[in-house]
Amino acid sequence: MAKVFLNGQPVEHAHEVHEHISPMSTYNAVIGALFVLTGLTFAVSFADLGPASLTVAMVVAFIKASLVVAYFMHLKYDDKYHLFVFLGTIIFVGIFFGFTMFDLKSRDALNDEQETFVRWKEMENAGKGLAVGVDNVPERRAKVLAEIEAHGGGHGGGHGEAGHGGGEHKTDAKAEHKAAAH
Amino acid sequence: MSNEHAHAPAHDDDEHNPHLAHHFDTMGQQTAAAKLGMWLFLATEILMFSGLFLAYFILRMFYPEMVLEAHEYLSKWAGGINTVVLLTSSYTMALGVRSIQLGDVKKLRLMLVLTILCGCIFMVVKYFEYSAKFEHGMLPGKFYSAHLHGYEIDGLPHIFFGVYFMMTGLHGIHVAIGLAIMLWMFVRAGRGEFNAKNYVAIENTGLYWHLVDLIWIFLFPLLYLVK
Repeated sequence: MAKVFLNGQPVEHAHEVHEHISPMSTYNAVIGALFVLTGLTFAVSFADLGPASLTVAMVVAFIKASLVVAYFMHLKYDDKYHLFVFLGTIIFVGIFFGFTMFDLKSRDALNDEQETFVRWKEMENAGKGLAVGVDNVPERRAKVLAEIEAHGGGHGGGHGEAGHGGGEHKTDAKAEHKAAAH
Repeated sequence: MSNEHAHAPAHDDDEHNPHLAHHFDTMGQQTAAAKLGMWLFLATEILMFSGLFLAYFILRMFYPEMVLEAHEYLSKWAGGINTVVLLTSSYTMALGVRSIQLGDVKKLRLMLVLTILCGCIFMVVKYFEYSAKFEHGMLPGKFYSAHLHGYEIDGLPHIFFGVYFMMTGLHGIHVAIGLAIMLWMFVRAGRGEFNAKNYVAIENTGLYWHLVDLIWIFLFPLLYLVK
């Protein structure tokens, strides 16, 4: 018969199905472990672990996920190429998370260092409206707002069109909610 | 070449398997292609959900107190029950795949029914959770009105509930689709389409269902439990 290829590799005896059939004991042990770990996360959530609680919860979740992937999804016994696809995805998720978080966390420091934020503000103020820019530090945002207030009260009307980035929206929303609540 | 094909060895009963599509040489090859396709699909699913998880982490990073305060309004018990239900459904699904690996169609159908049952329980619990949130005005974005119902949550709770509804909602849609697929598999199994040599559709259904479970494993502690 014609040569048979599986995932790019020529295969001998391709008609044989080599599926691994796990014994019942494996499935029972895995579901038992999953229940125990769920109970553990649940119990831990009542204890006050502070910032460590996120780490603990994530570690437990990763163990649970690994059990499901390895035994229920048969990745432990499956074609290694499927494991490659799966782990490759996880790596890309890691890059996605890592770079975004790094950017958001280091943005303030960079703005301070290069005075990007201030320059941007000046540039915008030279034009028509008032730019508050994107600033995630409430104290500094308040300071900038006060500065702008002091420089020219007449600009109040230009607030809407100068809605630059998240900073202003956040303050607006906050104020709105405070107002609505009281 | 075609001559060679015609003289395939007699023991190769794949040639006569009615489930073998003509563009595959063997059942093994057909199964491998289907499973690889499924894993690639699961990869896109993981990437899609990762965006929502990232949104959650960013919200949490900028507004830790608000997230902690808002999450107190989610029922730990409802989430916990749903976790157990979903894990159980994954277990029965895995046993369903095992049954058909051993050629037991009857047991496969039983396991599919049990899995569907668990999925339905999950959806019912979700329904009660959602209706409580709707009643209290804990809704996403501009629909948020909990402050009119006497709930004061500082910060940006409308964003938190936006993330909550997007994450659990997209997950819920996946559960609903999974239920429909399992029902379809139940019917196909009844027609005698599956046997120990042809069950990749069941296996792929299982992979999809386990992924839904996998996402919940992370959703549950992040949304309901974490302090």
